[in-house]
Amino acid sequence: MAVYKRTYKPYTGVMTPEWSRFLILPRYAWKTVFQTRFILILYVLCFFYPVGAAIAIYLNHNLSFLGQFMPLPKTGGLFEVSGSFFEWFTAIQAVMAFLMTSFVGPGLVSGDLINNALPLYFCRPFSRTEYVFGKLAVIALLLAYITWVPGLILFGIQASLEGWTWLTNNLWLAWAVFITNFIWTLLISLVSLAISAWVRWKVVAGGMLLVILFLGAGVAQAINVILRTDAGYWIDMGTNFAQICANFYRIKGGDKISTQEALVSLLAMCGFSIWLLWRKVRAYEVAR
Amino acid sequence: MSEVNQETVQFHNVSKFYGEVLGVNRVSLTVPPGITSLVGPNGSGKTTLMNLMTGLIQPTEGRISILGLSATDPEHFFTKVGYCTQFDSCPKGFTGYQFVYSFLRLFGWDHRKSEAAAWSAIERVGLTEAAKRQVAGYSKGMRQRIRLAQSISHDPQVLVLDEPLNGLDPLVRAETIALFKSQAAEGRHVIISSHVLHEVDLISDQVILMTGGYVVAEGQIKGVRSEISDHPMQILIRCKKPSELAARMFDQDGVVEAKVHSDGGGLLIKTTTPDRFYLMLNQIALNNVGIETVAPVDDDVNSVYEYLINEGDVR
Repeated sequence: MAVYKRTYKPYTGVMTPEWSRFLILPRYAWKTVFQTRFILILYVLCFFYPVGAAIAIYLNHNLSFLGQFMPLPKTGGLFEVSGSFFEWFTAIQAVMAFLMTSFVGPGLVSGDLINNALPLYFCRPFSRTEYVFGKLAVIALLLAYITWVPGLILFGIQASLEGWTWLTNNLWLAWAVFITNFIWTLLISLVSLAISAWVRWKVVAGGMLLVILFLGAGVAQAINVILRTDAGYWIDMGTNFAQICANFYRIKGGDKISTQEALVSLLAMCGFSIWLLWRKVRAYEVAR
Repeated sequence: MSEVNQETVQFHNVSKFYGEVLGVNRVSLTVPPGITSLVGPNGSGKTTLMNLMTGLIQPTEGRISILGLSATDPEHFFTKVGYCTQFDSCPKGFTGYQFVYSFLRLFGWDHRKSEAAAWSAIERVGLTEAAKRQVAGYSKGMRQRIRLAQSISHDPQVLVLDEPLNGLDPLVRAETIALFKSQAAEGRHVIISSHVLHEVDLISDQVILMTGGYVVAEGQIKGVRSEISDHPMQILIRCKKPSELAARMFDQDGVVEAKVHSDGGGLLIKTTTPDRFYLMLNQIALNNVGIETVAPVDDDVNSVYEYLINEGDVR
């Protein structure tokens, strides 16, 4: 039997908090994402509408500047910054967010699965939940900067120009901007991660995300027509989200599905996506 | 076996089933520090055993203790264990340095320490110059080495390496083996799975032989060989007068076969009582038969593998 000299000394330095370790995953993921010029251009385009809306809000409160170039009404502004203004903002940014997700999301988990990298994550003090949170952070934080963050900035600009009374009367709008955009980004992030875990070819995975949105609406209509029911709307992401937006922005929505049903439907899709992720995100795939 | 030892890797009656498929069955082991090789055919349960050691999968039955720790305490457990998979397992888009550094950060190490440890590990595997290049552009051997770097970077006490010598050229192979030996010399457990039996023989302090999910033998290879009573020990005696020596051998108890070596310069003996045979050989050596060397020819991993696994499969 050999005699060994014990020189092993474990790490005794400062440790980062356990809760923050999932944030290590976005570090290189963002760098990789923006190495693709097309995605960088698309991301810049995502800021066009928020920047335009901010300028519009500013001009709406500074009509004298616009008056130098065109005739204007003597009282009031050009438009009202209300629920429908932010609903438009949410609808447009939701489309942009969806496009971003269809290009960024598909490679997030599939890359690790193709390269058999999952055992490397899980042979460290890093759980499957933290892994999913980390990957979700890659996309959800990216989308936050083009959805609810600029939405709240627009709300802040309007409040600063309009005054304290407007702010207190319309605080619900800030909540609506946050919650509607958050629901949408969470939903599409989870769906794209789930697809990424099951479909390893990026192009197909990106296409599938589009199919789920558009085909879901088509199938929903087909179910409604054939079965003479409204139950098909349960699988229509777009309609459900529009209904939720209408409710939160206090504007008239459709009567196809109630807000509660729409919320349950979207939560069920999130839950199903998490279940799909849970099946695939393991140290080892068990082939029976 | 029920006592938990903080110096060893212990398996207590461990079984792992994937549904109805057997991974490993009723494995009880104690692995001391040093280099231990896992040997067995494909599907014998080597990788399952390694995944169990590294906490990647949990046993269906039984208990595993790695230096007194279990995977239910991940914060301490995983800092003691380093794992190098047999797969080409690097996340896409990483450079060699980023690969090692980012996985160190998952342990909760700060930037400065992670950076220093990453460079140190990369240097030990001889990839400093290529560290800033993308892993995707590495050769097979370089990828193997960068995986090795990530597995040793956090200075683990138990190093589990699945087929670590695959794809390495002879020079790098020798350097890598030297690295394993230096790790073992520092008192670590280096657990290696390999198909290259002659290398296993050269580097291992002990072996674990597996087949069909069962451990068929464990321990120092000479000890394992001496336990195999079905096969008489083969001993090659290099001498000047092999025929004369053969004639004397047939008179001895325990010698079941004596055959002049094909090159005419020695005698191949098969004996069921090797200890008695060596004692008796001392007497014969005095009778001017010109004995030059005496060496067993089947107490290596290759022979033990042949006897315990290949012949077992045929039966």
